[in-house]
Amino acid sequence: MNDDRQPPTTWHALKPPESRPNRRFMLKAAVGSGAVLLAGGPSATQAAKALLDEYKPVYFSGAEWAFVRAACARLIPSGGDGPGAIEAQVPVFIDRQMAGDFGKGSDWFMGGPHDPNADPQRGFQSPLAPAQIYREAIAAVDGWCTLNKGKPFAVLDEAAQDEVLKTLQAGQLGLRAELRDFFTFLLQNTKEGFLADPMYGGNHQMVGWKHIGFPGARGAYLEWANDQGKPYPLGPVAISGERG
Amino acid sequence: MARQEKKTDAVIVGLGWTGSILAMELAEAGLQVLALERGEDRDTVPDFAYPRMIDELKYGIRLKLMNRPADSTLTIRRSLQETALPYRVLGSFLPGNGVGGAGVHWNGHTWRALPEELRLRSYVTEKFGAKVIGPDLTIADWGVTYDELEPYFDRFEYVCGISGQAGNLGGQTQAGGNPFEGPRKRAYPLPPLPTLLNGKMFGDAAKAMGYHPFPLPSANLSDTWTNEYGMQLGPCNFCGFCERFGCINYSKSAPQTCILGALKHKPNFSYRTRAEVIRVELSADRKTATGVTYVDDQGEEVFQPADLVILAAYQFYNVHLLLLSGIGKPYVAETGEGVVGKNYAYQMSGGTSLFFKNVNFNPFVGAGSSAMVIDDFSMNQVDFGREGFIGGSYISSGQFNGRPIASMPLPPGTPAWGAGWKQGIKDWYGHSMSIGSHGSNMSCRDCYLDLDPTYRNKYGQPKLRMTFDWKPNDIRMTQFMRSKIEAIARSMNPTHWASGYKGEGAHYDVRPYQTTHNVGGAIMGTDPTQSAVNRYLQSWDVHNVFVMGSSAFPQNLQYNPTGTVGALAYWSARAIRQDYLKNPRPLA
Amino acid sequence: MKALLRIVGVLILIGIVVVLGLMFVPPQRTAPAAALPADYQPPPGAGRAVAVAGDCMACHTAPKGQPYAGGLAVPSPFGVIYSTNITPDKETGIGNYTLDEFRAVLIDGVRKDGAHLYPAMPYPSYRKMSEPDVRALYAYLMNDVKPVHAAAPVTALEFPFNQRWGIRAWDWVALPKAGFEPHMGDARLDRGAYLVEGLAHCGSCHTPRNRLTFAEKGYDARSGDFLTGAVLNGWPAPDLRAKDSDAQRWSAAQLAALLATGRSDTTGVAGEMATAVEHSLQYLPKDDLDAVVGYLQAIRQDRAVAGQTAPRANAVATTATLNGASPQIDLGARLYLDNCSACHFTNGKGAKAVFPQLDGNALVTAQDAGGLIAVILNGAAIPSTQLRPARLAMPDFGWRLKDDEVAALATFVRQSWSNDAPAVTGTDVAKVRAASASAR
Repeated sequence: MNDDRQPPTTWHALKPPESRPNRRFMLKAAVGSGAVLLAGGPSATQAAKALLDEYKPVYFSGAEWAFVRAACARLIPSGGDGPGAIEAQVPVFIDRQMAGDFGKGSDWFMGGPHDPNADPQRGFQSPLAPAQIYREAIAAVDGWCTLNKGKPFAVLDEAAQDEVLKTLQAGQLGLRAELRDFFTFLLQNTKEGFLADPMYGGNHQMVGWKHIGFPGARGAYLEWANDQGKPYPLGPVAISGERG
Repeated sequence: MARQEKKTDAVIVGLGWTGSILAMELAEAGLQVLALERGEDRDTVPDFAYPRMIDELKYGIRLKLMNRPADSTLTIRRSLQETALPYRVLGSFLPGNGVGGAGVHWNGHTWRALPEELRLRSYVTEKFGAKVIGPDLTIADWGVTYDELEPYFDRFEYVCGISGQAGNLGGQTQAGGNPFEGPRKRAYPLPPLPTLLNGKMFGDAAKAMGYHPFPLPSANLSDTWTNEYGMQLGPCNFCGFCERFGCINYSKSAPQTCILGALKHKPNFSYRTRAEVIRVELSADRKTATGVTYVDDQGEEVFQPADLVILAAYQFYNVHLLLLSGIGKPYVAETGEGVVGKNYAYQMSGGTSLFFKNVNFNPFVGAGSSAMVIDDFSMNQVDFGREGFIGGSYISSGQFNGRPIASMPLPPGTPAWGAGWKQGIKDWYGHSMSIGSHGSNMSCRDCYLDLDPTYRNKYGQPKLRMTFDWKPNDIRMTQFMRSKIEAIARSMNPTHWASGYKGEGAHYDVRPYQTTHNVGGAIMGTDPTQSAVNRYLQSWDVHNVFVMGSSAFPQNLQYNPTGTVGALAYWSARAIRQDYLKNPRPLA
Repeated sequence: MKALLRIVGVLILIGIVVVLGLMFVPPQRTAPAAALPADYQPPPGAGRAVAVAGDCMACHTAPKGQPYAGGLAVPSPFGVIYSTNITPDKETGIGNYTLDEFRAVLIDGVRKDGAHLYPAMPYPSYRKMSEPDVRALYAYLMNDVKPVHAAAPVTALEFPFNQRWGIRAWDWVALPKAGFEPHMGDARLDRGAYLVEGLAHCGSCHTPRNRLTFAEKGYDARSGDFLTGAVLNGWPAPDLRAKDSDAQRWSAAQLAALLATGRSDTTGVAGEMATAVEHSLQYLPKDDLDAVVGYLQAIRQDRAVAGQTAPRANAVATTATLNGASPQIDLGARLYLDNCSACHFTNGKGAKAVFPQLDGNALVTAQDAGGLIAVILNGAAIPSTQLRPARLAMPDFGWRLKDDEVAALATFVRQSWSNDAPAVTGTDVAKVRAASASAR
């Protein structure tokens, strides 16, 4: 054998998962709010907000955190049929992503020279990593809101918030070129936080997966290859083994 | 001053598919073989182990198995007038990395080139006249025929355990297979995967319109398989985490599952990981290579002497190494002179999504190669003269995965966010299928690779620069396919449908994923003034350097490249073993 | 009263004499089984073949260690025993051993300095070695193995097990005769017997042991107990002779495949057997493998595996239940779908020669569930072999499943399809988990 790893017959040397679910956080969730969250409804949203209130952001400042919570809540709203970003704890996901490889742009080529005004079809060309883009863009958007709507984003009413997001989405808020990917990242991260494995802090108790009927990390369906259209009834499983 | 290692008979740059094939062939021939892989070591367990591997965010979105642009990337521009900018974030294509390379995380579509594709310029000239070939197209014959390659397509298919239905056995059309394929001597190793509902619906609709549906030839296996090396694969379980992921249960053909376990038993084979080759070193007269220089995991430069150098890295890096090492005359688009870097091509694809309110597709029941195909508009079926383009495409309906972050097609008019989006995903997840066109891409004068004038890699070498854009020829082709697909889609009476095809004036957008079928740049041929390697993939200029991979393709096939890449590797290996090693010299 | 005192005194005196004898009378070395000339040259490759058949590598090489340099920690009921450095290094290895001293290790279990070896070194089996094999092995270790200067950890068991003279007493009681006596009436089968009963020391794991002395209950096929199954360190080594055992039910070709490649059509090796295949059995010459298989199937016993429940006549509708994927299924079935069915599938049949079949699997349905629990917690790998080089590994699930979940899952597989074995409890699982942790 040439590799210097011994192939074991038992798996002592396996690395633990990169990010374990925050056990205390989840335990509290399970004990305090699990049933309520799953049941849906206004009390579920209340419980979800309470859970978010307990979380200590590792990247976002207080004002940034308020913005992210408010923005997520509009991108995937609570109420209606199914959970929203708040019930799924999406802001937690985004905060943790900012502190990790994605936020830092660790895997991306960030070297210069930069042409942030290039045609968007040329791909991402900003000199700023996503976490920095979030930081500067949130400040810029809040500044715009204060100037144009009298208040920062987080305390505007829902209709006004939607209007701001649409303006941002259309590229008409006046963000400078280095920040122009902000809405794309925000929307993408929000959807990721709704539908990624719960170990990353979002898709709390797999509410996102249950909303659409995705079985999660089961990955075993040979016997369903011939089902010819039967709905698949079993709920999801997370990588941690959590059952939904 | 680089330290020097002990000489090896053969050094292989990159331990992906072609690196593994060449390493096995040369080790069996008795050579001391050393493979240098710039990435990390990888094996099914622990690296692709269930359930941590089936993590959509980590591998499907953050692309943690792929090569990181932070480590190496290229620059891209769409024309000679644009300034190339770095490909900073993975999007359009996803180069692999590590032992196994992209062979670890591919879909597994395994095709043979059509006989006509391998001699495309001659075919077009004979059948439609040379005038049909626009002045900017630089399409060429490959220098090897389908009949010559047939045993090697077969060999690769049997090493992999490809699961499919033969369409042409020794000239006899077979029911249920592709009636337009080149003749094969024997059936596929394994029968096709079971057909999912989308495939059945598409197949029925296609048949009703007079087309000839058949299951896509799959490297996700339909049963257990033991290959010529004694390596074993298991049956695919339709886990839906195929492309972008390593296979959790040994059921996707890959270097790990097909070759490496056996290769590691050979005492004359060894490999080093985190060893990035930065240059092929040449003798004083520049007629032979003396070995390669690589950077080891401590960041030190090492000279590895060798008698034979096999470039088996990904297409981009093979071309880049040739340019950095001064092997062959670099192509200059302005003058049309030179060969290394010319004829870069990609893949022209498009598709239509169909939504059925009352049909459960269970999209998470997926395999990377699970699809029903029609080849009725393949390269050898289209009248180029009448249609006004050179090209062809296979049309298929696949169900590869239902991973919800990446795969969430929604009917036209569904908002991108808000309550409407939330309702939309609940209503429509699992109620859609798609029909796609996977088409050829003709090479042209101003689609090529060279060295960037501005951006450098971490070793201070110029980055590779790609100049590429969509051309009217291929846009006409994809619009043609669109009309055929939309007719099929309409006949299926979906609740909604929506199309995405490149239209007139479309430019290359590097953001959305398209394919990782980058070809050309070190093309094969019979004329050393028009190609970089000869028909045995041997460098015309440096006879002990052989360049594997899709860099050899003079233009792109309509098909996924891997089957042809594998066949060419075995074909080249045979020439090396039977001919070159006995008398090292230019073989053509 | 005086008579009683005198008797007791004499007994004590005898006892003291015996102990002193055990401690101080020099150990007897058995003479060579055959007289070979002093300059006897073993045939080329013979020594390596003996080392491989005897699997010296498995114990005398530590994980990530140099070949034969010792240092492997072997757990025993008496404590941890460390294997020694048997490279020809003169200070830390056996470089100073004469041939006679070397022979004494294998045949008598006695070191150069006269100390007795713990029978973790399977000299009770090695004692059957022929003199040509002893010579060949000696030449191999002395000339062909790279000397490694590295002192292996010294074994230091707790009192009274650190009193090595006690082993001498044990040897008197437990050891079979030295040398191999043909008893199968056929040259090929006797070759198989020589390997199985001797060098391959299969009995060390597969023969039940006396509860008091921990000696194997029999050392060759003439004993009814030999190779009839045992549990070692919580792992069941199966009965190889009962008529419904895998070894007897399978064709000769299947049994040969298991030994040579670690995999048959329906199952794969796990635990210590995986190591035995990887380092030893895959390298047996074809004739020897054939002899071993022939011998094993010739010593069949006409009885069922003891303590094993017969397969159910009417298999449980497990497959249909699993295929239904109902949210109401039991925890065991749910866990099977979430963890196991990706490879072992809902019919429990796995995939031929790649994923072991669970329905009717010996490890799954063994009376002692320790092996099954260990595999669920820690995973298992069929080793890469020359003939079948794919290393087929099952990942571990101990990090994903709690003890009661492992118990539910293990019980589920033990009682599904045609399987009918006793349930597993969370306590059972906790024991195996703790043992695995301390073994690291």
